[in-house]
Amino acid sequence: MNLSPKQQDALKELLNIGFGRAASSLSQLTGHRVLLDVPAVSIHPIAELRNALGTVIKEDVASVHQIFSGPVGGDALLILDHAGAGVLKQLLTDEQPLPLQIDASGREVLTEVGNILLNACLGTFGNLLDVQVSFSIPHLSLDTLQGVLQSLLVNREGMRYGLLVHAGFRLRDAEVTGFLIIVLSVASLDRLLRAVEVWEQGD
Amino acid sequence: MNERILIVDDSGLARRNTRRILEDAGFEVLEAEDGMTALEQYFVQKPAVVVLDLVMKGMYGLDVLAKLKEMDDKACVIVVSADVQKSSRDLVKAAGATAFLNKPVQPDELLAALEHALRGPG
Repeated sequence: MNLSPKQQDALKELLNIGFGRAASSLSQLTGHRVLLDVPAVSIHPIAELRNALGTVIKEDVASVHQIFSGPVGGDALLILDHAGAGVLKQLLTDEQPLPLQIDASGREVLTEVGNILLNACLGTFGNLLDVQVSFSIPHLSLDTLQGVLQSLLVNREGMRYGLLVHAGFRLRDAEVTGFLIIVLSVASLDRLLRAVEVWEQGD
Repeated sequence: MNERILIVDDSGLARRNTRRILEDAGFEVLEAEDGMTALEQYFVQKPAVVVLDLVMKGMYGLDVLAKLKEMDDKACVIVVSADVQKSSRDLVKAAGATAFLNKPVQPDELLAALEHALRGPG
């Protein structure tokens, strides 16, 4: 299953706008300029998502996971390495970071940052595509890639394919780097592509 | 200016940030981290304005808003949410909120919304 160049192009534009809104929120929160990579879009069998995500997630990470539902549903994740998460906490609270396993305040900060960024991104998609997206409570986990994958909705629902989109970002001279990741089922992807087509024609 | 404001948010960070803005402006601040506690606080403490999050553990913000309006149809509620969707803004407005602001909330936006809410319609 492949996306046509036109579909890729339209999806990337949509992602640029959504991720851009998230970057702007992060910049407002921290008072620092945020540099955003061009989003990457690819479709994978669920069984191969591990390899695809493995190119993004190299080690134990802090991830904020929100399940979203509505006409288009799936998983949205903010991924940070532990050091970056600590810097982020310091920027937002002026408190020294501790290892996240014992830092309740650090975990709280990350969860709220994830909530704001993921909502900014997916909410912008909702606005542009004129669909209502509902969000679950954000869930923070300190886990390996395997643990992150097991928590994905697309895995639990026995889907066969997933759309993986991700964009890296850097903050304060790359002291904080992270990823925004969205995984959609193919059923949602089909609806997303139709909505993107309508959006393109409308504009 | 020492009106009492109730902040309802399940995020401690969000509550602390909002509290700082409100206390700096001279308001008395109450906090609740879930909808049920918020309803109790509203009943007992009678805050002038409620600053309410939408996606929370337990009761969803829109349900809290509906209950507050049931208890007091003049309740002033400012919704502060990470949700940037126009459709959510419309739902919140239809449910009777005074204002809808996006997180991260900016001090000037919040204080302007509070001033408007406290002044009342007209």
